[in-house]
Amino acid sequence: MTDTQPTADGNGHTPVTVEFLGNWRNAAYNCFSSGHKFCREVCPVMQVTRNESWTPTAFHANVVAMEQNELTIEDVAEDYVNCTQCGACELRCPNTLFTGDFYRFRTRTVDLVKQMRALAVDNGVHQPGYQRWNQLTDERTHEPVLGDLPVSQEHVADWADGLDLPVGGETILFVDCEAAFHRTSVPRAVAQLLRQAGYEFGLMREQWCCGGPAAEMGYRGQSRRFAEHNLADWRASGVRRVLVLDPHDYITFTEDYPGYFGADFDIEIVLVVELLARLLADGKLTPTVPVERTITYHDPCRLNKRKGIWQEPRQVLRAIPGLTFHDVDRVTQWSYCSGGGGGLPVEKPELTAKISAARIDKAAELEVDTLVSACPWSERPLSEAGAARDIDVVDLHELLAESCGIEVRR
Amino acid sequence: MTAQLTDRVLDELIAALGKDYVLTSKTARMNRARVPAPFPVHRWRERVPDLVVMPATTDEVATVVRIANEHRIPIVPRDGGTGLTDGAVPERRGIVVDVKRMNDIKEIDLENRTCTVGPGINMLKLNEVLAKHGLIYPDDPASYPCSLVGGRIGTSGWSLVGSRYGHTRDLVLSFEIVLPTGRVIRVGDGGGRKVSKSSSGYQLKHLFMGHQGTLGIATEATLKLYPKPEAEFSPFWAFADFDSAYACVGRLARAGVATFAGAVLFDEWKVDYLRRDDEAYIPQPEDVRALVCAVCYGNSDEVRAGGKRLMRIARDAGARYLGDEISQGDWAARHDRYATPLHGRTADGQVAPMSWHCEDAAIAYTDLATVRTAWHDIVAGLRNKHPVFDDWGMFFYTSADTGVDYLTEIDVGIWEQELDDASWAAWVDAKREIAAVALRHGGSISACHGSCREGEVDLVPEELGGGYDVMLAVKRSLDPNNIMNPGKYGLQRAYEDQP
Repeated sequence: MTDTQPTADGNGHTPVTVEFLGNWRNAAYNCFSSGHKFCREVCPVMQVTRNESWTPTAFHANVVAMEQNELTIEDVAEDYVNCTQCGACELRCPNTLFTGDFYRFRTRTVDLVKQMRALAVDNGVHQPGYQRWNQLTDERTHEPVLGDLPVSQEHVADWADGLDLPVGGETILFVDCEAAFHRTSVPRAVAQLLRQAGYEFGLMREQWCCGGPAAEMGYRGQSRRFAEHNLADWRASGVRRVLVLDPHDYITFTEDYPGYFGADFDIEIVLVVELLARLLADGKLTPTVPVERTITYHDPCRLNKRKGIWQEPRQVLRAIPGLTFHDVDRVTQWSYCSGGGGGLPVEKPELTAKISAARIDKAAELEVDTLVSACPWSERPLSEAGAARDIDVVDLHELLAESCGIEVRR
Repeated sequence: MTAQLTDRVLDELIAALGKDYVLTSKTARMNRARVPAPFPVHRWRERVPDLVVMPATTDEVATVVRIANEHRIPIVPRDGGTGLTDGAVPERRGIVVDVKRMNDIKEIDLENRTCTVGPGINMLKLNEVLAKHGLIYPDDPASYPCSLVGGRIGTSGWSLVGSRYGHTRDLVLSFEIVLPTGRVIRVGDGGGRKVSKSSSGYQLKHLFMGHQGTLGIATEATLKLYPKPEAEFSPFWAFADFDSAYACVGRLARAGVATFAGAVLFDEWKVDYLRRDDEAYIPQPEDVRALVCAVCYGNSDEVRAGGKRLMRIARDAGARYLGDEISQGDWAARHDRYATPLHGRTADGQVAPMSWHCEDAAIAYTDLATVRTAWHDIVAGLRNKHPVFDDWGMFFYTSADTGVDYLTEIDVGIWEQELDDASWAAWVDAKREIAAVALRHGGSISACHGSCREGEVDLVPEELGGGYDVMLAVKRSLDPNNIMNPGKYGLQRAYEDQP
């Protein structure tokens, strides 16, 4: 955690703010001056609040206003909690769509939100929910996903009880805090699927939180410390390859870690859903137990919008017998979100609930009984919203495991 | 007339709306001070409202308006805030009434082919719902993914496919509006909600279209719906010179093809600009100097027949078809592409971060060519003095199904970071000159954007003549305290002889 004491410069901004404004000036003007606002109606927060202050356009315009000495970090910080970092706005931005290839320019709203939150922390401006969440994470080495119930190192692999999984090896399975402590059926399903396919892997020796959520909420120093611990642990136990089942971890390991460690970061990161699609194609896994459900698939934002991964989850679903699948294309789903990401539920749980309810409404229109996701962080808010509409929210890995004859207890 | 926002006013507003929907933070106010039209950024603070309200119902809007009227506080309605004439910009601070929360679909009437919506709904989002019923609301501005129905009413919007389906004034059958005194009325053709033609009473619908927020706030609208088209045909053709392209677009628009939804003419400046800096056009050979595109919508058999006729007309006019890829791709990209340039160039060819702006007018077909040269001369003069401007060429779009008049626009790149008081003053002068040319050629100052920005607004009385005096009388009669978007269209003149 970097809590540098602010020292005002001639313009009233601290040096770290001046540096930030220098970095973001042109990108902010590119949005401010063109003012398309095409991002607005795909933004999950905007869709449920209709508040123009909480749009990607406003997030860029505030930078211009800060540069003009009209606003300070204290004025703007609170607005930036209203973002799930889903990335829809970037995809919908004409500046990305039409100048991206030509000038290698891309609107980077998600990064802007992360950096602005970090700037706030660096200036000593904290959001109470974020501060507490990261403090607890720091103390426990895991996110406080169980509320007052403690999470701790000794329980991080409880989900694997009775599976006799080895620890260490060249390939390990990294399980995010939400799945490790709350949606434990997901890692159990994954572990048993991999074992059934004959794919060798172990558990991590001393797994801490990936550090991604701290970075998302602006606590860069903490995020980096967690990353350093995890990488050191991998190095010490000879890990070459890390399997991740959580899209958030996937972003952290493929974007944040290379940012921290540069070319030194030579660990191969494998997304489990891609691996499973390959194992199915290679005939290493064969789902045979029919799953009689009428489903639709929720494209997790970090897979579909941030990483362009939408084919493999559908390949997995189409391999499962018995399913009736009412698919919604990935572009339509740019404007869908569970509301569970980017720290939104920590500061604004009421917005998360509205966003997940809106997502469940879309599923209900298709007259399905099940919404399948592939992101543990989406599954808690979606399940809560789904309960009110009699729509079951199931993880894709759980569903595949069931069809492979593995007992899944949720 | 700066607003005197006392604690009492604030308390009354909070009592009416709840504190979550009365926004006083600096960010909430600053982010509702602008529209995409360029403005010197160092003068941003001049337009920041005192507070923002986000009502959810017609009653709440009416209550806010009554409070403001009682306390003589300016009100600025804000929908999408995507307009280019500053309609949603608070010139005299006051209360911004942001209606984006009023975005519900209240009714879809499949038998009468109408729907009734709140003003805060976006057309693309509405069409996502209507598509399930095989229907479409074909109001299609360049800002289609983000502009809102209420703003389309307040600005009397222009639609890219208006030659086939009509523009906002045709597509909105009736709407509810809160008058500046807080009274709520419904206007349409006559009194019925779902009537497209009446000869009963004054035709008030047009009066409350395009008033730029000076006469009230639309709170509900009943819209005309069409079958979602089975087919789209959008050929792009190249020409060796502007004159042949100009002749061709006239012939296409006059052909009387029923599925014809519009045609667009690109002049040499536009083609040069695109060939310089737009991926899709860079490969076009040098002998491509002007372009025309046309678009047809409708049932597939009718589009096929109409399209064949248009292809024959274009071929006879010397057009060269540019191929399916650019034809389909560029028309499909029409919304995303309109403001894409992230940069322009200085006179020596250096890339500079510039944003797009366009000045428009409504011009009869026969005057397009002369208006074009006069406008390019004006922008060339501007660029000579201030290199923060760049001429990005002109588009001409048909407005009607007979080819009578065209939305005529000149696109100007503006390096907004460098815009200072001197270059801004020169820009305002250029805008006034551009409008004067349109009037000299019997046109209207704007087909699409409105005419209440600095520069062209000076000429509105000249354009409308005695009609402008009627505007003043109407304004004073409906808004006795001049609270509704004061400062726009020079309407403060309506109150100048008052004690």
